[in-house]
Amino acid sequence: MAVLEKNTMINAAERAVEAALKMGAQEAEAYSYEGQATNIGIELGQISKTNRIIDRGLGLRVAANKAIGFAYTNILDDKKAMENVVIGALSAARASKPDPDWKGLPQKKPYSQTAKTFDKKIVALTPEELVNVAAEMLDAAGQVDKRVLAIEGGVGAGYVSVAIANSNDITGFDRGTIVECSLATLAKEGSTVAPMCFEFNAARNFSLNPSWVGREAAKMSISALKTKSVETKSGKVILTQFALQELLTHTVINAIRADSVQRGQSPFKGKIGEKVASENLTIFDDGLLAGGLRTAAFDGEGVPHQKTPVIEKGVLRSFLYDNYSAKKEGTESTGNASRAGYLSTPSIDTTNFHIIPGKKTQDEMLSEVDDGLIVYYLQGAHSSNPVSGEFSVVATPAWKIKDGEITHCSRGVMLAGNIFELLKNISVVGGNERQMGSLIAPWIEVENVRVIGQ
Amino acid sequence: MTLKDLLTKINNVATQKFGAEYSETRAQKIVKTSLTLKEERVEAAKQGIENGVAIRVLVNGAWGFASVGSFDSSILDDAVSDACRMAKLASERLKIPIKLAAAKVIEDRVVAKPKKNPANIIMEDKIKTAAEVNKAILGFDGRIKSCSVDYVDLMGSSFFVNSEGTNVEQDKLYVWARITASAQSEGVFTSSREEIGSTAGYELFDEQTPEVLGVKVAKLAIEQLNAKSPRGGKFPVVLGPNVVGAFVHEAFGHLAEADLALSGGILADKCGKKIGSNLVTFYDDGTVEGAFGAFKYDDEGIPSSKTLLIKDGVVTGLMHNRETAQKLNSQPTGNARAEDFRVEPIIRMRCTYMAPRDRTFEELIENVKSGYYFKSFRGGQANLDGTFQVGIQEGYEIANGELGAPVRNASISGNTLETLHKVNAVGKDFLLDPGRCGKGQIAFISDGGPHIKISEVVVGGSA
Repeated sequence: MAVLEKNTMINAAERAVEAALKMGAQEAEAYSYEGQATNIGIELGQISKTNRIIDRGLGLRVAANKAIGFAYTNILDDKKAMENVVIGALSAARASKPDPDWKGLPQKKPYSQTAKTFDKKIVALTPEELVNVAAEMLDAAGQVDKRVLAIEGGVGAGYVSVAIANSNDITGFDRGTIVECSLATLAKEGSTVAPMCFEFNAARNFSLNPSWVGREAAKMSISALKTKSVETKSGKVILTQFALQELLTHTVINAIRADSVQRGQSPFKGKIGEKVASENLTIFDDGLLAGGLRTAAFDGEGVPHQKTPVIEKGVLRSFLYDNYSAKKEGTESTGNASRAGYLSTPSIDTTNFHIIPGKKTQDEMLSEVDDGLIVYYLQGAHSSNPVSGEFSVVATPAWKIKDGEITHCSRGVMLAGNIFELLKNISVVGGNERQMGSLIAPWIEVENVRVIGQ
Repeated sequence: MTLKDLLTKINNVATQKFGAEYSETRAQKIVKTSLTLKEERVEAAKQGIENGVAIRVLVNGAWGFASVGSFDSSILDDAVSDACRMAKLASERLKIPIKLAAAKVIEDRVVAKPKKNPANIIMEDKIKTAAEVNKAILGFDGRIKSCSVDYVDLMGSSFFVNSEGTNVEQDKLYVWARITASAQSEGVFTSSREEIGSTAGYELFDEQTPEVLGVKVAKLAIEQLNAKSPRGGKFPVVLGPNVVGAFVHEAFGHLAEADLALSGGILADKCGKKIGSNLVTFYDDGTVEGAFGAFKYDDEGIPSSKTLLIKDGVVTGLMHNRETAQKLNSQPTGNARAEDFRVEPIIRMRCTYMAPRDRTFEELIENVKSGYYFKSFRGGQANLDGTFQVGIQEGYEIANGELGAPVRNASISGNTLETLHKVNAVGKDFLLDPGRCGKGQIAFISDGGPHIKISEVVVGGSA
């Protein structure tokens, strides 16, 4: 990959800020972005697709009389296009309404060193090497059982760099790499089709285990072939990381965002210092975690990333802030302004949402369940009520645990309840953490979950 | 060099220099305006330009794809070279080479004719419209705690040129808004949302005024405050067009996307077979004028069509691109869509709906002793094995043929095919609702149908 130099990226941002100030903006902030990715795609059991995507652009945010405007372009090397961005952002600000809560862009603060976010091996990977990874993953899945078909998946290598500059003298540059492989498999026997099962690896350095991914997805598919129903009752459920990610994203994550709190959309409002979860739950939002998928030196506004305690031993400690929501309360940003590349203005999001693991291994957790379920994939979590935390989802599928052993798979099992109640009913936090998008978590066992069988 | 000549030249490089058996280039010139209003506050008014080119080639039966945000001839030369080399590399392990179904060569220019072109509406007016929606929500009831409007419009053109001689230039026009509200009272939190969208023009807001939209969304959030959770279990239900649309889209539509059917989905071997009651007729229709999700040509240059998926309970067809049509010995249906130049076209729905029949709403509910009426949905999802889940935003109890108290936090789930057999009455009304569908990429779609009755479905709720 031929990537843009640090200076090119920073200069683009700085020039845009200068031009905006010259043309009448009181404040300006520019964010330049480069993303490059090479992907090898698997479809219906074979490697049949490849792609190479280069996306570059710049987003400019300006303030004029406390009104905010934003414009972006994906044409970086054209003077006229850059001029149009400045004109676009200023005219958007002038059309907008003044915001009395706008207290300015962030001030400059020193950045910490990040660890394990960039691996030059990933930038240098050839398509041949990526094809080999895909082939290894496919072969491993095929060797598990003939009834397994690799439906889709692939291998991808990506590079992202960002530069930020604002009129308070912030300048920053950061870059990172990511590599991932994933496989979705389906087992079929006669007319029985098992639900699709999925496994993946993702890392900031070139450390994939494609055989493991292929094997695990395939094994899961086979075990999902034979199903038996489960009864309707309330009981113990082990939520794996897949299920946790689904459930938390649409509810708890929303509830800890300072803007949700300020707008009365969070049941956590006014509960800092209060117990909101079981004592064994501790969560940090850690934007500096070594090797974390969301680790970077600074956030989408150039504010340094940090490690923020969210819940400690069940007690709510802090919400997540960007600069605007922090200034509104007279506090400091926690470095949680997130951006979708150059296309969007910053909005509050988690960095690495880290549920601190306990001590128990997977086997110990399973062996201690007399009667319960273990859930991997969930369907319908996005239909949860984001404000109240009420959810009603389908496990696709769930596995029954009886006397410490997984006995069978069951389909169409619904789980219903309230995520905020569920946090209080956490009985075990496992020791087996892994990262999935912004979530880093172990398995979590919860008591008294409403299970509706078929 | 014109853009068309440039794209043709790139296709020639692919076929002549790198031996591609097929090559297509798509260029996009788009201007987007978007804004978010939360309560009284304009978060940010935004304007953006997204220009770029996508190149897709078939070399020895494997796909290569490259996208760049540039019209620069030398950058495009590098991109087509990348795409061809990578495709060739992947083809070395191919067992079954990809082939494409034949397509008619088309040359056309599609011009959008909005009554109100969003490009001619000044930003101030767009902000004003959004502010009026929020004002209506906040003014509806003191228990409303928050509201937001996300607005996007997009204008521009897309160019499609392939190595077979097809060349199409289409204007693109979308106007879309999502409105949300939340309410709180006595420790109960509720939320509601509504989406509107059109490919016709900004006249959308003349049909649904900001005031009407705001009140509608506010009312939904307030009504839920006094609602109770439904009992979990199996019940007869009457579904409104909005929920029917979500069901048709999620529970059936995705299974009828030929790529997912081929991936071991349950419809793979069901063509010509009866999978539902006689009352079940579904279409995926890209020709509904002005509808969100309608267009003239897809991103493989295939004309959009009205595709019959099920007729009277019998599966009649799937939604295809050129690759799946060839595999399944069928015709491309014009369902290949790419969100933008950055990504490859994949099979997507357009306007997916159930055809109406003959019943009135009263006839549908009159024989329900104990069940639910679910009027609008909040998200839904399905698995390839035919398990579906649709969340409910607005629902009511039905007791002895009468509508009763509102319920919140409900969802329906089950097996699609079993459920289609249980459709035992279909209304004569009809509504299409705009929405967005995620399948790795976002697509603008519509879905809908009449009111229907299902004799039994699993209703999930807490309690």
